[in-house]
Amino acid sequence: MSKYLQIIRITFQEYFEYRLNFVMWRFRNLISFLTLIIFWLAIYGEKDKILDYQRSQLLTYVIGVAFLRGIVLASRSVDLAGQIRSGELTKLLLQPLKIFNFWFIRDLTDKALNIFFATIEIIIVSKIVNFSLVLPKNSTDFVIFVVLVILSTLLYFYLSFFISVLAFWTEDVWATRWLLGIVLLELFAGAYFPIDILPSWLVRIIYWTPFPYLVFFPLKIWLGQASINMSIKIILISFCWLIFFFVLASVLWKKGVKNYGAFGG
Amino acid sequence: MVPLADKRKLTSQFVRSKIRLVKIWLMFASRAAQSQLLTSWSGVLFLFGKLVRFFLYFVFLFTIMSSTKTLVGYNREQVVIFYLIFNLVEITSQCLFRGVYQFRSLVVSGDFDFELLRPLPSFFRPLFGWTDILDLITLPPLWAYFFWFISNNLPPVVLSNLILFLLLFGNSILIAFSFHLFFSSVSILTTQIDPLVWTYRDLTTMARFPTDIYQKTIQLILTFIVPVVVLITIPAKALFGLLSWRWIVLSFLLGIVFLRFSVSFWQYSLKRYSSASS
Repeated sequence: MSKYLQIIRITFQEYFEYRLNFVMWRFRNLISFLTLIIFWLAIYGEKDKILDYQRSQLLTYVIGVAFLRGIVLASRSVDLAGQIRSGELTKLLLQPLKIFNFWFIRDLTDKALNIFFATIEIIIVSKIVNFSLVLPKNSTDFVIFVVLVILSTLLYFYLSFFISVLAFWTEDVWATRWLLGIVLLELFAGAYFPIDILPSWLVRIIYWTPFPYLVFFPLKIWLGQASINMSIKIILISFCWLIFFFVLASVLWKKGVKNYGAFGG
Repeated sequence: MVPLADKRKLTSQFVRSKIRLVKIWLMFASRAAQSQLLTSWSGVLFLFGKLVRFFLYFVFLFTIMSSTKTLVGYNREQVVIFYLIFNLVEITSQCLFRGVYQFRSLVVSGDFDFELLRPLPSFFRPLFGWTDILDLITLPPLWAYFFWFISNNLPPVVLSNLILFLLLFGNSILIAFSFHLFFSSVSILTTQIDPLVWTYRDLTTMARFPTDIYQKTIQLILTFIVPVVVLITIPAKALFGLLSWRWIVLSFLLGIVFLRFSVSFWQYSLKRYSSASS
């Protein structure tokens, strides 16, 4: 246990060493958050409902996105790809650590920091914008939301790990990460706008991917826009995606480590 | 008084030196293209991602504007034009000034010494040393689509507005150049560049939508400190014929001020360059 506490300590220290980078990173998040809030306020103007979303629901959605970015999408396992390509992974392999645990602990530390700062930013913006946050209609919705957020966090961890592990076979891992882990992830996960305002044919395509289960569906449940049957279906599909990426990441990791040549080392 | 023959000679020398720089840039661009084509799979993924992002935002704006009809007084087509101009400015500057992303490694390794020995402007390699071929190949279809869109969705654009738009677009690229030169200067002084560039890029995304949606204080910051209003909103307004002469003068003035400042700051930072690794 103590070695994992050490990992948490070291991860925190890394952040405090590169304080400016972290401050700039949070500032960028704040810009993105503010832009979205102001955009939606301008879109609503005097109206109260647009495309099946009431004004307060949509603003809650945007705030929810800012929060879930901290919980679900904040990650350090992206660094694994660089370690594989540079050969730095060798150091890790020689240590008495379970690699999945190591990266997951680092991810959790990253999430804790991001949630802390995201909460402060949300409070500041909420004071400026002045609106009433929509809360789950009943405790069942809240419990389902929490369960789905835990599943999403694990799903994103294994998805991110899977992308990083590709670095064993390809030098193009940054391109894959950029496409799957940034562009498709943010747009298809609903991290900019609720997916279901897009045309229905496009929404159907996006629902076939794992991304909406990371941000969009948890927030739909929070807003009370999913029936209990729908919620159970969402949890089951999310769980299936989690198993899929867990198996994929585990198998590829085992194969990759066997062939690992410590290129840069 | 400079004699006419000397004036002509000076002009011809000036033009020849600029043509030489263009030729060198083409050589850099060609090498960058060859390097990027070596990892063609990466190129395909990047290109696909750029297209998906552009398309999804486009569909999003179109859908939302079809529902609301107007956004701070602009109709659906005008909002889409703001988005297209944002993309044109962003992609053009990213394509031309992509070198800044690699500049830090030149400074840290000390290899910038060799660049300073070359008979080129000192800022040439830091800014123009790498051209993003993927951005370059997306530009012609984007410009073609932009002109098709304005000719089909706006009332006939007055020629003077179109010329003014193109001049202001040039001014935007000049301001983008100034900012990238400023980042390079900071990189020499602090060996840090990425956080600044990414923050600048995030700030420019605020002009993906008409900047009139922001409060006055934010608009002032976006005009005079990080002038994304001048970069994107002003050229769009010129196209719509909504620009007063005061804004036109102010835009060009800001372009000159930012250029002067960034060049001076670059010279200041060069004097403090200490060839880090040697």
